[in-house]
Amino acid sequence: MKLRRSLLPLVVAALIAAACGGEDPAAPVGDETDDPAAAEETDGTEDGEADAEADGTEPEGDDDVLRVAFVYVGPVGDAGWTFRHDVGRQDLEDALGDRVETTFLENVPEGAESERVFEDLARQGNDLIFGTSFGYGDQMVAVSEQYPDVVFEHATGYQTTDNLGTYFGAVEESRYLEGMAAGAATESNQIGYVAAFPIPEVVRGINAYTLGAREVNPDATVQVIWTSTWYDPEVEGQAAESLLDAGADVIGMHQDSPAPGQAAEAADAYWTGYHSDMEEFAPNAWLTASVWDWGPYYISTAESVLDGSWESREYYGDMADGIFDVAPFGPSVADETQSEIEARRQEILAGDFAPFTGPIADQDGDERVADGESMDLGALLSFDWFVEGVVGQIE
Amino acid sequence: MTSWFGRLRLEKRNAPGTGVLLLVPLVSVVAALLFGAVFLSLIGLAPVAVYREMLRVSYTTGYGIADTLVSATPLILTGLAAAIAFRFKLYNIGGEGQLYVGAIAASGAALAFGDRLTGPAAILLVIVAGALGGAVWIAVPALAKAWLGTSEIITSLLLNYVALFLMQYLIFGARTFWRDPESATFPQGARIPDATRLPTLGTTRVNLGLVVAVLAAVVLYLLLTRTRIGYRWRVFGDAPAAARYAGIPSRQVIVVVLLLSGALAGLAGATEVAGRAGRLDPTGLALNIGYNGIIVAALARYNPLAVIPVGLLLGGVLNAGPALQTLPGARVPVAISTMLTGAILLFALAGELFVRYRIRMRDPADVEELAEQATTAVASPRAGTGPEAEA
Repeated sequence: MKLRRSLLPLVVAALIAAACGGEDPAAPVGDETDDPAAAEETDGTEDGEADAEADGTEPEGDDDVLRVAFVYVGPVGDAGWTFRHDVGRQDLEDALGDRVETTFLENVPEGAESERVFEDLARQGNDLIFGTSFGYGDQMVAVSEQYPDVVFEHATGYQTTDNLGTYFGAVEESRYLEGMAAGAATESNQIGYVAAFPIPEVVRGINAYTLGAREVNPDATVQVIWTSTWYDPEVEGQAAESLLDAGADVIGMHQDSPAPGQAAEAADAYWTGYHSDMEEFAPNAWLTASVWDWGPYYISTAESVLDGSWESREYYGDMADGIFDVAPFGPSVADETQSEIEARRQEILAGDFAPFTGPIADQDGDERVADGESMDLGALLSFDWFVEGVVGQIE
Repeated sequence: MTSWFGRLRLEKRNAPGTGVLLLVPLVSVVAALLFGAVFLSLIGLAPVAVYREMLRVSYTTGYGIADTLVSATPLILTGLAAAIAFRFKLYNIGGEGQLYVGAIAASGAALAFGDRLTGPAAILLVIVAGALGGAVWIAVPALAKAWLGTSEIITSLLLNYVALFLMQYLIFGARTFWRDPESATFPQGARIPDATRLPTLGTTRVNLGLVVAVLAAVVLYLLLTRTRIGYRWRVFGDAPAAARYAGIPSRQVIVVVLLLSGALAGLAGATEVAGRAGRLDPTGLALNIGYNGIIVAALARYNPLAVIPVGLLLGGVLNAGPALQTLPGARVPVAISTMLTGAILLFALAGELFVRYRIRMRDPADVEELAEQATTAVASPRAGTGPEAEA
């Protein structure tokens, strides 16, 4: 009795909340239909819910519509890595229209937790599933073996199965061009580079950047600071500040946030970014960046699955494929520099120039790549030494 | 003037009945769901549909239940870690760090000795190493609490960050024993030998860790309710002064209870490594399992047996998070799961009030009498016959 009376206010509050909760659902549907972009999705709601209840039954028209799912490690609003993948997903929708239906999951943790997510997506009838972070590797292998009829694609991965391929790009090509812009911009001949982890991918980028910088400015050096994080604006910004304090007047980066650029902007220095066109974050400091463009790859992969020609492979795309490029130049890049970079870019696109062509010396001045020779893919993928001109150590 | 609200008053309960003990967690969960419903409505989603989907994803299909069991396994262990400590007013907030160190110890032991062992011995090795790792990580806070009176809340919490950095360093920071020497592209932990992996049930990911967790809960329950040790701990927790008179060595209790708590969290790290990940995975382990254990313990009212169903509940809620994103036609933010678990904790703690106190309405007559007293009390000094006159 007493108990019941004491709970009364709580129950009243609960009922009020329930009333709020019960009323609203109808409203948003109306809201969303005002928005033409959302209208299509809202149409899908009815069938969608029916599917959900039937659980496991194949959705209608599965034969002609390719269902494509994307699993992201970060939020689509990160302005970096995940954002670019989601732009690629939208490009895929725009290009193939009714022939594809895409969904995405954001903030999916790497590691064991992700296995359930990939399995759910396969079970829900997706035909093609992209995982866009290294840490999904073991799990994608396991799920791909369980679902042999679903095609899996793992960005930055190294393990493949019959229905799991990997994809990445030789972004060192545009890193070289970025480096040229940095080398031309520096007056102190000291360039700072904020880098995530001392792994081959990052080392490769730093080396290409340094070679590019020293092509236009043989006195330029690139000092590296490791942050041990892909995405931590505070740490990245602090690393850039310490490089600027040490005399650098250009900042390069292998990070996901625009924080190093904001630090450069505040110090009246210059900045080359990564992943996406981040000019708006630091307009005065902005030189250029290596920018991923996953759209073409997503479109061609979806097409190959649609026409049945897909095969598991380790794709390592180049600039000619359009999977990445340099971003538009900022106003502070001199016309002369711009045309020099553009000339190199054309040579790369035509296959006439590779950044890692000898002679290349290491930090001790010893020649590692002979004149006229080029490093092969295996050597590039396990890069564990710095070229001459880099200040800093791997580990 | 005398609203119903003004008539409420708190009255201490002497011994809360089982009805109240069961009702409070239930109401906490329902209140959290209603709280969540308001937010879902505000962002234009139908709460009923979202909750129905959560139920469907986590509890109605075979694979959904299997995954809920998998996620619940470490939550039950960290829940027990928090329950055993909090029950005796020892606030170990460091379950997260103890889990990491347990994972480091378990993977280290598996890599070092796993090849030489087979069968139960290999698995025992991993489990014992994990528990030891967790216990070691709380040893300093425990000793400091017992001999220096240092707050274990602060020390255990701060060590979480140290543990996280240690784990990251072992994989990302240097070429250590834990790191896979053959992973050329990106640093990752070395795979532990198959013999040290926990066996799984059929084709599911449900593993032996679940059995370990349930066994641990039962053993702890019996220890607390049926043994002399448990009795002494209860006296220590509920009546420290009486414990002193009874000659219960409080330092010993503090150290033993906290070490046990750390060992349980370390065990969670071991089952994660040997059950799911198969390697030390610094990003894949940082899922707040240790912190979520505190929510599990609070909702279970620090009862080891109750930790099991609560772990299953929370595991299912957290699992549903990513899956909700694929709810057709609606983008349910993944944060809804975390928000719900946070709300559950908040309401569970608020619910404590109802366990310790009962709220009673005063009779209207009483209230009016009180109000009269108040008015005269206020009025009298104004009349000039204040305390001065009396003095």
